[in-house]
Amino acid sequence: MGFRRLRAAVLATALAALPGAIAPAITPAWAQAPQRPLVWGDSLPATLDPHAIFDVPSQFVLLNVYDGLYRYQNNPPQLVPWLAESHTTSADGLNWEFTLRQGIKFQDGSDMTAEDVVYSFRRLLTMNRAPAAAFSPVLRPENVTATGPRTVRFVLSRAYAPFLSAMPLVAIVNPRVLAQHTVNDDWGAAWLAANTAGSGAYRIDPATYQARVSMDLSRFPGHFLGWSHNPRPIEQVRSRPVMETSTRVLALLRGEIDATDSYLPTDQVERVERNNRTRVARDESMRVFTIRMNNRKPPFDNRDARLCFAHAFNYEGFNNTILRGLVVRNGGPNPNNLWGNPSDLQPYTYDLNLARQHCDRARAAGAPLDREVEIHVQNELEQTVQAAQMFQADLRRVGINLRIVPNTWAGITGATGRAESTPDMWVHWVSTYFVDPENWIGQMYDSQFHGTWKASSWYSNPEVDTLLRQARSSLDRPERERLYQQATRLVVADSPDIWVYNTLNLRGLSRRVQGYQFSPVGSGGEMRLMSLAN
Amino acid sequence: MAFYIARRLLLALPALLGLVFLTFVLSRVIPGDPAATLAGDAATPAQLAEIRAQYGLDRPILEQAVIHVRQVLTGDFGRSVFSGRPVAEEIAQRLPATLELTFAALLLSTLLGVPLGLVAALNHNGPVDHLVRVLSVGGLAMASFWLAIMLQLFFSMELDILPLRGRVDVEIGMPPLRTGLVLLDSLLAGRGDIFVDGALHLVLPAVTLCLPGLATIARFTRSGVLETLQKDFVLYARAAGYGRVRLAAIYVLRNAVNMVVTQIGLLFGALISGAVAVEAIFDWPGLGTYAVQAILSADYKALLAVTLVVGVVYAVVNVLVDVAQALIDPRVAEDAR
Amino acid sequence: MTALRHIFRDPVAAFGLLVVLFAVFVAIFAPWLAPYPDDAFESHLLQRLRPPSMEFPFGTDNLGRDILSRVILGTRNALVVAVSVVLASMLIGVPLGLAAGWKEGWMSEVLMRVTDVFLAVPQLILALALGQLIAPGIGAAMVALALTYWPFFARTVFAETRRLRGALFVDALAGIGASPARILFLHVLPNAAPAILVRATIGMGFTILTAAILGFLGVGAAPPSPDWGLAVSEARQHLPEAWWFPTFPGLAILLLVLGFNLLGDGLRDAADPRLRRSRR
Repeated sequence: MGFRRLRAAVLATALAALPGAIAPAITPAWAQAPQRPLVWGDSLPATLDPHAIFDVPSQFVLLNVYDGLYRYQNNPPQLVPWLAESHTTSADGLNWEFTLRQGIKFQDGSDMTAEDVVYSFRRLLTMNRAPAAAFSPVLRPENVTATGPRTVRFVLSRAYAPFLSAMPLVAIVNPRVLAQHTVNDDWGAAWLAANTAGSGAYRIDPATYQARVSMDLSRFPGHFLGWSHNPRPIEQVRSRPVMETSTRVLALLRGEIDATDSYLPTDQVERVERNNRTRVARDESMRVFTIRMNNRKPPFDNRDARLCFAHAFNYEGFNNTILRGLVVRNGGPNPNNLWGNPSDLQPYTYDLNLARQHCDRARAAGAPLDREVEIHVQNELEQTVQAAQMFQADLRRVGINLRIVPNTWAGITGATGRAESTPDMWVHWVSTYFVDPENWIGQMYDSQFHGTWKASSWYSNPEVDTLLRQARSSLDRPERERLYQQATRLVVADSPDIWVYNTLNLRGLSRRVQGYQFSPVGSGGEMRLMSLAN
Repeated sequence: MAFYIARRLLLALPALLGLVFLTFVLSRVIPGDPAATLAGDAATPAQLAEIRAQYGLDRPILEQAVIHVRQVLTGDFGRSVFSGRPVAEEIAQRLPATLELTFAALLLSTLLGVPLGLVAALNHNGPVDHLVRVLSVGGLAMASFWLAIMLQLFFSMELDILPLRGRVDVEIGMPPLRTGLVLLDSLLAGRGDIFVDGALHLVLPAVTLCLPGLATIARFTRSGVLETLQKDFVLYARAAGYGRVRLAAIYVLRNAVNMVVTQIGLLFGALISGAVAVEAIFDWPGLGTYAVQAILSADYKALLAVTLVVGVVYAVVNVLVDVAQALIDPRVAEDAR
Repeated sequence: MTALRHIFRDPVAAFGLLVVLFAVFVAIFAPWLAPYPDDAFESHLLQRLRPPSMEFPFGTDNLGRDILSRVILGTRNALVVAVSVVLASMLIGVPLGLAAGWKEGWMSEVLMRVTDVFLAVPQLILALALGQLIAPGIGAAMVALALTYWPFFARTVFAETRRLRGALFVDALAGIGASPARILFLHVLPNAAPAILVRATIGMGFTILTAAILGFLGVGAAPPSPDWGLAVSEARQHLPEAWWFPTFPGLAILLLVLGFNLLGDGLRDAADPRLRRSRR
């Protein structure tokens, strides 16, 4: 509080020295502030256009400023009808019809109709940016039509079970607002990058918006779900991303921000807990820490070589010592807390003797284990660097020379387009984009996705391909569960990658934030649910 | 004199053109595929190819470079491949923050550096001189990112007297933007509270950033003053009974100013690149952090524009320095012809 | 030799020389001086983030490695980077400066303009670009540093050559038929040597500092290298709890750069006083 006191003192002196005309402009701001705004220190997306980007930061805009037909709530996440009140599916899984709720208003006061939903999906599919990837293989723009003022029909070109799971990715935008800002048939994309046209619970003040620096939100009282669930909602949210981890933690402790991102370094948890005005929200997420191996490049084309690596990673030491037990061991590609995992799945263990045996067998089969193996880490993400250094020390003991290459997300994913340019190994997390095994095992190990970063282990097993494709097109949940379990067994036995843990999301929060509810999609950034004690 | 200024300006142009071309080639071999960033996490290979074609990323690099230079000459910096917004607009938002910080640092270095150098010279080889030398050279040796963290820990966390991050307090908010400089805008808007708050926020980053400059200016003032003190006219004046301090203030400093001005020109470039780490740690929304974000997301359009803007600022400051020198000492302009 | 005598008479410069000599000694004998030389690459999870003690005088880092050992081992890195970058910059900058300074005309003008272009390129961007062309890491960072530092040598040598060109002995040599190359390398260059030496000493300090910044921003040395800048960068996440983690590598940077700069300052004073005007 010393700073505030000093500032008040300096301020008083300054005011005494300044012409009296200034003083009235300042005093009211202090006198009547019923609720101090919430300062949100998590990162902001590069663009506000919900159809142009899909990554973890963009979910903050998607969930607060826009609405989708369905939405994930709670943990474990449940898919609940949102703008839609219900939907029907044809027996062959090709025809989907959604009915909108009554009386939904956009933030400009106009009514939302089925035509607006059609416009939004056509905009998404025509622009064909990130969030479209989940739909474009099975849905053409002209196959989204309004069959009534409140009903929308989607006709898929082939059955696609995760269709509904991916529905929350799509924001419904207001075509009337965009029409005024459309230049050269760009669907208003240039304008929407720094403005909004949504129906969500909060609206953005475009005048104060600065990309990745600041965004001010205020509550939209006319939100279609109303506010009866929350007697003391947050009126004003100031989003102020803090770039440096160390600064972010200090800012929280000092009260300059009310929330950090949800990846608080595990070494800081204790300190944040100890401070009497901050706490740490710990929530099991669906975000699997994975060390990739390029199965096309020797020695990783040899199963024994891969098993050797899988047994040389010190899971226990990394998860329980370095990360202080704030994560959960995850033995396969799908997060533990998702369906589709075999109940008897045995995770690989840290066993250097076993690793040596596998390595010897691989060497005998001619695998070039003596060459220097490169592991690419994401520089700005300290955990990837620590994991690689620990792995390097252990691999030395089994005679493998690992070289750590600092890189960036853009740098690595730019190289995963071809097997030859994909790094030998790299480290990352697979976060929740939609809650379905398709998001993990489906897109990681079906060979049809080769060339994307998710499939960058270049694994290919015809048997697994068949299972995953059957699971993708079946609408029968028990059958899908069985298929995914079978595929998971095969994949884990082949050990194409090293799966380490499922994340416990750690968000530092000021104690005045109440009602924080975590969901793996959006990482707890939904403001409608929170309230503030002053 | 006018001829001299025109000549200086003309000479700066080819250097800037060269810079545009060089940075383009550099930026396009930087790790990362802009198309991959643009398409986002869930993109398919087909989407990537489409985006590459759309942005002309599939053409030969030299062809792209020529197109780029042509666009820049017409004032078109293009759109950020990451945010989809015009790069010129994004930079216009960021540049004032960096300028405010670097000017504050420059002012601090000069206001502290010149007196320090003067005191050291007047006590040549005395204990004060040695102390100033070690301190000023120490300033040059301090890694700015390390110092920044230490200052944060001490002044914000331990003593709790200075803010930790950002340009203004969140609750006070930015003044209505005219120039983009918080201190100036708050005065224009008649908001004394924002001015004070903005000034307090500026202290730690500016102090961190000013050290190398301070050290350089102190060193050059010291040696400049020492050199002038040996000159005939000074010896004559001393013989005529002028005191050392008065001499230093009147004659010696005036002669030293010229050299300090030269240093400011050179320092400006170093200040802007030093700002990268300082801005990141203090969350200062300037060009440095913009460049880092552009690098992390392989946003080559943004990176190019930043490089060019920094180059232009550097060139302009140096032309101004040369002109100032010519005004102080007309012989400079004569020599240059 | 007069320069050396001057330095010993100047306590501040002598201190600088001492620091530099000490660093060279530590760098050469690093593997024998470090208490745990294997901590260059080993990790000991059970003893991570221990505060300074008798066992670990500087404490341990996030992977349980002895920070004292890593600071000692990192000395070699710092010196190797500094010496190679400065040598490479000299190899580019000195001949160009000589060539540009010898004759006036478009050649000289073009050379000096190219020098200006390189002065304006941000090192960070250059280091990243080269990282992609060669391989990310300290090698790329070193090339980038050399490519942005040579203009300082070119400018220094340019100014010296311009000054010496009009000297009587040059005219005399030209008169007896010495070739320009001979005059430049055998007569002008030795006369410019003090200026180059001062520039090089200052450049060592500057290079160590910039390499540390590059390491901090993640485009310099790659882990697990005991690089000082990298250590400070890795320590950020553990502040303010593990204060010893960034402090000792930070102090090492400070001390070595200080040593080079004080030495350079002393050399500057010892050499031609006119050098005090040379830029930066």
